[in-house]
Amino acid sequence: MNILNKLRRTGVAALAIASLAGVTGTAKAQTVSVPLIESGSSLLYPLFNDWVAAYSADHPGADITTTSTGSGAGIAQAIKGLINIGASDAYVSDSLKAQNPSVLSIPLAISSQAVNYNLPGVKNLNLSGPILAGIYEGKITKWNDPAIAAANPSVTLPGHVIIPIHRLDGSGDTFIFTQYLAASDAGWASTLKYGTSVSWPAISGEIGAKGNSGMLSAAAANPYSVAYIGISYADKVASSGLGTAALLNKAGNYVLPTQDTITAAAESVADSTPADERISMIFTDAPNAYPIVNYEYAVVNSSQPASAIAEAVRAFLSWAITEGNAPSFMTKVHFLPLPATVVALSQAQIAKIQ
Amino acid sequence: MKIRPFRLSVFALSLLIPTALCAVVLFLVIYSGQAIMFNGLHFLTDVNWNLGDMYDDPVTVHGVSVPGGAEYGILVFIVGTLVSSGLAILIAVPLSIGAAIFLSEAVPGKIRPVLSMLVELIAVVPSVVFGLWGIAVLVPFIGHHLSPTGNGYGLLASSIVLALMITPIIASTLLDALLQVPKENRESAFALGATHFEVVSKAMMPMVRATLVGGIVLALGRALGETMAVLMVSGGGINILPTSLFSPISTIASFVAGQLDSAEADPTNMSVRALSEVALVLFLITLAVNASAKLLASGALNVRKRQS
Repeated sequence: MNILNKLRRTGVAALAIASLAGVTGTAKAQTVSVPLIESGSSLLYPLFNDWVAAYSADHPGADITTTSTGSGAGIAQAIKGLINIGASDAYVSDSLKAQNPSVLSIPLAISSQAVNYNLPGVKNLNLSGPILAGIYEGKITKWNDPAIAAANPSVTLPGHVIIPIHRLDGSGDTFIFTQYLAASDAGWASTLKYGTSVSWPAISGEIGAKGNSGMLSAAAANPYSVAYIGISYADKVASSGLGTAALLNKAGNYVLPTQDTITAAAESVADSTPADERISMIFTDAPNAYPIVNYEYAVVNSSQPASAIAEAVRAFLSWAITEGNAPSFMTKVHFLPLPATVVALSQAQIAKIQ
Repeated sequence: MKIRPFRLSVFALSLLIPTALCAVVLFLVIYSGQAIMFNGLHFLTDVNWNLGDMYDDPVTVHGVSVPGGAEYGILVFIVGTLVSSGLAILIAVPLSIGAAIFLSEAVPGKIRPVLSMLVELIAVVPSVVFGLWGIAVLVPFIGHHLSPTGNGYGLLASSIVLALMITPIIASTLLDALLQVPKENRESAFALGATHFEVVSKAMMPMVRATLVGGIVLALGRALGETMAVLMVSGGGINILPTSLFSPISTIASFVAGQLDSAEADPTNMSVRALSEVALVLFLITLAVNASAKLLASGALNVRKRQS
């Protein structure tokens, strides 16, 4: 009951909403075992594992299998009906949504991403979307480029060649990173656009790395490199001596990814979130908002094969966005809980699962 | 007519394997058909690969619906696959010939089974372990001591990791063959006054040439199709042909593994079809390698027959 105690202490308003909707009651009533399959995002996978362990402990009969396959697979398999819950770092795209109107994108938590650098002797560094776009396009090749120097007037920058590191596997991290570049740099928006894989321009010396752990070890092994790494890896990034860059937001401020700046980004769009909750939190206009923030999604088909399955999915998901958003789950992976207005929207979407 | 249940069932079972093979090929061809039509021959000669913009409405090119800006060229990956596997063979063959001769000639009979078992054990180490070793040890070493740019990921790292994985395959097949060389051949060569080196190089190696070629082909097959270990140390070169040992590369197999997840988000499904065409190319390459090696091996066999 550790979780409940913590919840009571933090006084999460969401719990009240959940009990208003009467979901907690139905969850306890579920005694018949209905097997559910969750699959998708490798970033969400550790959280789902914690969730399922805690959920199964006080919900006898819950039988949920979790697998880590990747966001794209999570979306594709949820659409094909091979799995019940697809985990994804990105919401279902407009064209896929148009083809499959019954597929819901339900936010579960808030994640973000850091831009890390390996620059011996440099402790603080400011970077912006146009600078990063220039680096990854091969237009800015040295650390003492005038554009980087202008953003960092008080820093002595080395005249060394920059080693840009990108993900070689399809990744939600590439999706939100390139979304930031596309939102803040017109050139990037018109040529490379955004996606879980993009056609990285040919730069000699650049590195493609596999997974966030591959990004981390490539950045640590290569001085003068720059990489984008999911916030879940913040502790490991800090202990390997990499720096975290302050990024230029839409309001013109350089901000670091902290709880305040990430929450600021989430709250700036909370009220304008549409009913289907497919919204970008990249490069929002709040003055202290960190520019690379995103919802982690559950991709679920609203018409499930049987009503018992639908009920089990509803019960688990509404537990996940209420009790599952407790700090005991979130701090370990550096995620943040959903704002109360978004929890209400998610509950409305969960109620549609039949 | 007499029904022979045993013969029938064995016949049916024996058909299973070729049928499975044909089914896989047929599936690949049919599934990638649309991509083959869309790409044409540019597929093999272009260096640019772009899945296109999957988050905007698809566009129609030549009557086929694809994500905007999509282009599929795999020359980079073909070159990466062939060059990294070729280099791996160049490293592995002398190593494994040396190891096999050492084990068959220089090691006392009592220790030999232990050592040869150790060599065979390397062959069953999962490739991801080689990949981890590559990231933790090899890549930093190349980066700090060899590479002019300081970057250890790339062609050389991939080739060395591949070479280590395939050395035991070649060495253990060659060792088995060397141990089967008739005693008379060895002893008569010694009796003629040949040195130990001449015995091995003139009397024994010619007898095992076909096996050596067979082992190399087996190893090449593994190297061409290796996915995970290469994915971890190759540097994932895309849109750029390798220019040196330290250039990042991608092999066909590792590239398919890396891109598949993104491709699944394609509403037109063209990306998955293009990847299946990539897999088809890999299949054809391994087929060609195996067929030509079979020819080589039979050629080597004939030479040996004429000598004896």
